[in-house]
Amino acid sequence: MFMTGATPATGWARSLGGSTGAGSGVEMIGEPMSRSQFLAALIVVGALGALVVARVQSGAEAGAGSDQEAAAEAASEPKPITGGEQAAVGATPPAPQTTTLVVAEPPPILEDKPALTDLDGWLQTEATSLDDFSGQVRIVEFWTFGCFNCKNRLPYTQEIYRRWQPEGLEIIAVHAPEFDYEKDPEAVAAAAADLGVVWPIALDTNKTNFRAWQGSRRFWPRTYVLDQEGRVRYDHIGEGDYDGLETTVAQLITNGP
Amino acid sequence: MSVFPLLAEGFESALMACSLILLVPGAAVGLTARAAAIPAIASFAIGVLGLSWLRFSERGGDFSPLVIAVALMAATILLLVPLISRLDVAAVPAGLLAGGAAAELWRPCVGAEFGQLLNELPDRGLSGLGLLAIYLVGTLSPLIVLAALHHLVPDRILEKLEPAWSVVGGTALALLSLATALGFHDELVGKLFEWSVAV
Repeated sequence: MFMTGATPATGWARSLGGSTGAGSGVEMIGEPMSRSQFLAALIVVGALGALVVARVQSGAEAGAGSDQEAAAEAASEPKPITGGEQAAVGATPPAPQTTTLVVAEPPPILEDKPALTDLDGWLQTEATSLDDFSGQVRIVEFWTFGCFNCKNRLPYTQEIYRRWQPEGLEIIAVHAPEFDYEKDPEAVAAAAADLGVVWPIALDTNKTNFRAWQGSRRFWPRTYVLDQEGRVRYDHIGEGDYDGLETTVAQLITNGP
Repeated sequence: MSVFPLLAEGFESALMACSLILLVPGAAVGLTARAAAIPAIASFAIGVLGLSWLRFSERGGDFSPLVIAVALMAATILLLVPLISRLDVAAVPAGLLAGGAAAELWRPCVGAEFGQLLNELPDRGLSGLGLLAIYLVGTLSPLIVLAALHHLVPDRILEKLEPAWSVVGGTALALLSLATALGFHDELVGKLFEWSVAV
């Protein structure tokens, strides 16, 4: 059933149509590559790869440098925001990433997002709609409890929540399950308790809102910030940029939309 | 953005269940291609890179499950049908098709470095493609090891193992294709995830 077109010989040479030696019955060009030649080729390719990486690295760092300069130029009226104690929830909360956040221009107004629809219910709140939180700055985070990177975000989000919830911040965790075992609302509630997720959870079991908000680029986790008027002011994929998130929240709460 | 942390995060992602949807079909292609494992896996990686870049940078490439299933089935047929005896020729298109299809089904783990890249990808030009390639070197590193092992294993052992490997690889590709065509790919990926976590 399976045909290779050549009798067994040295792997790469066979794959490239090299001679398989006497009795192969196929006229081919070139000698088989020996293992030492293969290893030598591997080393050469590795060295070239390292050169490419080094080259891209230097280019990327140059780009990052210019970005930082641009950000520094854009910053105006620095506004210190004092960090505080460790997070109240979470097993090993991180130390606050910064104690001073520089607030520059107001966060940009991004593309509007639709209302949350076709939900399977809410947990840890009396709310039934995103509009129930209107007037507040809201972090809307798409997550699922089995997602490794979503869990990695939690200590940072918990710290931001601890600092800014008394000032009017609300977090809405939109739970969009990736796998079957994440669809059970009781499992979501148990995981939330276990992970220290104390804010409202919207159950997006069919992933209707996950698709509607994220379009063709859909990831877990994805974090948005809505201002007091419901406009999207921040959009971030994956872990990281916790300073950017807190700066946006601080800016909106302190200075308004 | 820094390249080495991105590469490191790629290596880390290779150990996570979310990369199985790339690694399983990639390994299946490599095993089924037998003597042509290296060009097959290289083509698979290029397919993954190309379609991932298109998708994640919003340049296109968002295909329906049916198209993905057809691509997977075509790759399976190219590698398995006895009429196509030149595996060294069939391996490249089969790898490209399977790689592109796997990229369509891939829902990556998004750490801080890869997240930063994804956030910037729509606005980056070819540098974004290069950085994605660096991340994928890490993510697909088990396939590179597989290709190298295939070359380094003694021929007499290869002779005995290759037929069985082809059956396993071909069956895996065909099953993934069938599951995708029937709309069960999410469940299949979920099962892969659960099994890997259990293991």
